[in-house]
Amino acid sequence: MSLNAEQTGSSDLVSRVPSGPVAEMWDKHKFDLKLIAPTNKRKFTIIVVGTGLAGASAAASLAEQGYNVHAVTIHDSPRRAHSIAAQGGINAAKNYQNDGDSIHRLFYDTVKGGDFRSREANVYRLAQCSTSIIDQCVAQGVPFAREYGGTLANRTFGGVQVSRTFYARGQTGQQLLLGAYGSLMRQVGLGKVTLHSRREMLDVVTVDGVCRGIVMRNLVTGAIESLAGHAVLLCTGGYGNAYYLSTNAKGCNVTAAWRAHRRGAYFANPCFTQIHPTCIPVTGDHQSKLTLMSESLRNDGRVWVPKTPGDKRAPNTIPEADRDYYLENKYKGFGNMVPRDVASRNAKQQCDAGRGVGTSGKAVYLDFAEAIKRLGQKTIEEKYGNLFHMYHKITDEDPYQVPMRIYPAIHYTMGGLWVDYNLQSTLKGLFVLGEANFSDHGANRLGASALMQGLADGYFVVPYTVADHLATSKLPPVTTDSREFKAAVEEASFRTKQLLGIQGRRSADSFHRELGHTMWDYCGMSRNAAGLEKAIGKIRELRAEFWTNVKVLGHDHELNQNLEYAGRVADFLEFGELLATDALTRNESCGGHFREEFQEDGEALRDDANFCHVAAWQFQGDNKPSVLHKEPLTFDEVHLTKRSYRE
Amino acid sequence: MNWVRQTLLRNWLVRAISTTIGQKLVMGATGLLLCGFLVAHLAGNLLIFQGTEHYNRYAKMLHENELLPVAEAGLLVLFVLHILLSFTTASANTAARPIGYYGKHSKLSGGTFVHAHNYMFLTGVLVLGFTLLHLSDMRFAHLNLRLKYDSTLDPAAHALHVLHDPISAPVYLLGSLVLGFHVSHGFQSAFKSLGLNHPKYTPFLSKLSILFGIAIGLGFASMPFWYYFAGH
Amino acid sequence: MSAMLDLTLKIWRQDGPKTRGAFKTYHLKGISTEMSFLEMLDILNEQLIQLGEEPVAFDHDCREGICGMCSLMINGQAHGPETKTTTCQLHMRRFHNHDTIVIEPWRARAFPVIRDLVVDRTAFDRIQAVGGFVSINVGNAPDGNSVPVPKVNADKALDAAVCIGCGACVAACKNASATLFVGAKVSQFALLPQGQAERVQRVQKMVAQMDKEGFGSCTNTSECEAACPAGISVEMISRMNLEFLKATVVGAT
Repeated sequence: MSLNAEQTGSSDLVSRVPSGPVAEMWDKHKFDLKLIAPTNKRKFTIIVVGTGLAGASAAASLAEQGYNVHAVTIHDSPRRAHSIAAQGGINAAKNYQNDGDSIHRLFYDTVKGGDFRSREANVYRLAQCSTSIIDQCVAQGVPFAREYGGTLANRTFGGVQVSRTFYARGQTGQQLLLGAYGSLMRQVGLGKVTLHSRREMLDVVTVDGVCRGIVMRNLVTGAIESLAGHAVLLCTGGYGNAYYLSTNAKGCNVTAAWRAHRRGAYFANPCFTQIHPTCIPVTGDHQSKLTLMSESLRNDGRVWVPKTPGDKRAPNTIPEADRDYYLENKYKGFGNMVPRDVASRNAKQQCDAGRGVGTSGKAVYLDFAEAIKRLGQKTIEEKYGNLFHMYHKITDEDPYQVPMRIYPAIHYTMGGLWVDYNLQSTLKGLFVLGEANFSDHGANRLGASALMQGLADGYFVVPYTVADHLATSKLPPVTTDSREFKAAVEEASFRTKQLLGIQGRRSADSFHRELGHTMWDYCGMSRNAAGLEKAIGKIRELRAEFWTNVKVLGHDHELNQNLEYAGRVADFLEFGELLATDALTRNESCGGHFREEFQEDGEALRDDANFCHVAAWQFQGDNKPSVLHKEPLTFDEVHLTKRSYRE
Repeated sequence: MNWVRQTLLRNWLVRAISTTIGQKLVMGATGLLLCGFLVAHLAGNLLIFQGTEHYNRYAKMLHENELLPVAEAGLLVLFVLHILLSFTTASANTAARPIGYYGKHSKLSGGTFVHAHNYMFLTGVLVLGFTLLHLSDMRFAHLNLRLKYDSTLDPAAHALHVLHDPISAPVYLLGSLVLGFHVSHGFQSAFKSLGLNHPKYTPFLSKLSILFGIAIGLGFASMPFWYYFAGH
Repeated sequence: MSAMLDLTLKIWRQDGPKTRGAFKTYHLKGISTEMSFLEMLDILNEQLIQLGEEPVAFDHDCREGICGMCSLMINGQAHGPETKTTTCQLHMRRFHNHDTIVIEPWRARAFPVIRDLVVDRTAFDRIQAVGGFVSINVGNAPDGNSVPVPKVNADKALDAAVCIGCGACVAACKNASATLFVGAKVSQFALLPQGQAERVQRVQKMVAQMDKEGFGSCTNTSECEAACPAGISVEMISRMNLEFLKATVVGAT
């Protein structure tokens, strides 16, 4: 099979990264951005889709400034967004621990952690904003962990050698989201934000080439509704559920991003998916999702497997001499705290070598016995109580007594819609925030950086950059009665009716599961050209079958969860092909993208000469090959070196 | 009527008391004060076991006190508030769940023990009935609302007469036990409603509350039991 | 370790907010004890689709006990028989072969049924919108360490803040009272220095909105605490009561 893509080689992507030293870029840029006068802000309407960390923080900040905001969520409440499930923490270069941290070090760690596939300027800005995020969240009443003296506590995360992670037990995401949710609800109460809950975005609407609104389905009544405004912000998360089994919530989907992509927003680096090393292993075919055990557990838990393949003794009866603490042995400087991609790959290698544990042989141990002995069970309980509780509930095993069994699973997606320095996509007027964009994590995201990015984008970046768009663009009055909106509504209704009309024999879920198997088998922790080509073929076949054989019951004018789900699966079936195509095109290994053909001692082998770029894909039409655009990446501050965690 | 309501609601106190929390605060406060009354009332009544003359002396002292009408008026206010609020909150609570469950099971540990808190309204209504009967027996039938204590009266004899009545005695016995059951939850609940719930004190108060309920219930029940059922 | 269960399910089916609902009985065979409760419902729905019957609508999302989206009254208990557990974290190993399981939606006037087992919990959002926040605009925050918070207060505030907003407290309360939910939010901010500026108004506004939504009042039965998957203590309710009392005494007229 030939490559799906036509490579253009040339780049028409304007990243709008300011000139000058990276440390001064954001300040300079903020000054250069046009402002909207306070009294004029109320004349503008901004639509924010998604109410996770990025969406809630953006909606709240923009409303605080005086804009009229529409906030849209597929859930009954903004608080349900999957940011809520982030466990471990949020990074910030506060250097409260006096251990040598700085904005520059957080920047450096993140660029290196991303295996030199992120945009330096964005990462630097992220590190700069990180400190203000903590201040903002503390002021909102987020109950972060504290030391006895009343100051903020920190812990360590993978891929770094300082303690810069702020946390609230094992539920930091929940606390940060509830903080942002509080700010959002305050604006709802003040009438500055109109909340549209149980609404799913089905399309974006462009008028004269500028994104001016969205089409959404009212999930309760089934009505296809639309909203018009002056800018649209997509804060709709990642696409991990393309793999069916992931640590994402069941409702996480690619639909909003994919629909925008189809309307002209380029999709960047879709093959950069993060496989998290510490998840609870799969138990059977019935499994509907995977559960993450926070990376923070590796602060105290030690990863090991039996030295002899096929050693089926109970873990507590295996003597020290027969255990291989393979991360500690291989990565002396970082030990168990290597970044996620490295830890995951090593777990897979151990299991492939027959040293995996548990009934399936697809797990390694994460052992707390030593930490419990050193710190006492009470301390461990205080730090990780809710995670241990969750593990116990799911597996029926008590991790205080026996080591946890863990295995990697799809967790986060670094790829996303391409955005410039202003977080604006290639579709003018459409901004993309948080996990939904591609910008800050390169080929691998470091732990505790997702929360940081979502909030940086929402609280501190987009409020400035949206203003510039509003001030400099021609935005004639548009209402939802206009031709463009009516056409988009028509199209969305048609698609809904189409799904209901097929009346085939297979449920949407069965298609999704099959897609997930294909993605995981050929496009998961390790990939190769032959497998990826096979995957692309399989996905195309499955997509064709979907549109003739899916069975969706019920009507379009009611709450119909099956119909919602089918629409999302349909988009995953289109998106999956792009993901595999991107993986096939990127003939190198970097971060979470591991191509078996490109490796050195089992570590990823980058090809900076040919692939030091962002791959941004342009949609050409149904079943037509996408066009690849490349944004070259330059590294002026952090020099391109081999990424190693062995020292 | 609506404008009356609106006008009243302009007052901060009315506004506070009209909330569910405010109502429970008042119920808790009145409940606790009524518990105080029960203690005094029981202490006085138990004098009958010491002899009728002690009992009569206490009655005389009580009724010659010129502040008694004030105290009685206060008690009346407490009762009326407590009862009125119990009706308003109970009806609001019923309205809060128009469709019930097919079957509902508690998740509280402690299993199948009958929880007094599930029967507060029912036991409250029974206590109200008992109180009215008791007032008509003791306060109105005998004392006739006379303010001046008449030396010809013999309250002890009257009390013994009531307690020996084959209909009154079982009613008094049951009424007392129901009252005890009611306050066994009410006493501790009042503290919680008033905002006192602390790991240091609450376990103690919960136990005290049950002991209080038992003491009140058995204390009052001891009289009909002794004089009618035990045949003294 | 894993066994197979045959089950009878009695599930509340209701087409829409305005239509009448009724229980419908389903038989399900070969359910693995390793499954979660919601995975069991997934299997039922898959079978219903094959039979041409509309699947049972139920709310769920994260399936790891944190989003608060899942609900369900299972055999008369909110989130089923386990304590400190959401429905999505409940596993079938908790049930026995040939069990009959009754599944109902949360029942409360303030939580109207939308369809089958899905209820509308936006009342909680409206309560949050009147006071569940600290009014601090982005850009105003002082340094995070400028105001020390005693560890014990921070921990207690977090004990309150872990509420997942699922509504089990309302569902389990015989009065459908939301005081645990509101009490938790009021307590979180009452315990932190950041919450002090709006302390008086917050409790008054949130209580007023709670009443407006039509929730019942608290009779201190503690059923909410027993049902709460996040383990929130009824102390939060008392703290709210005290806050309300203080606000009534010292607050504006």
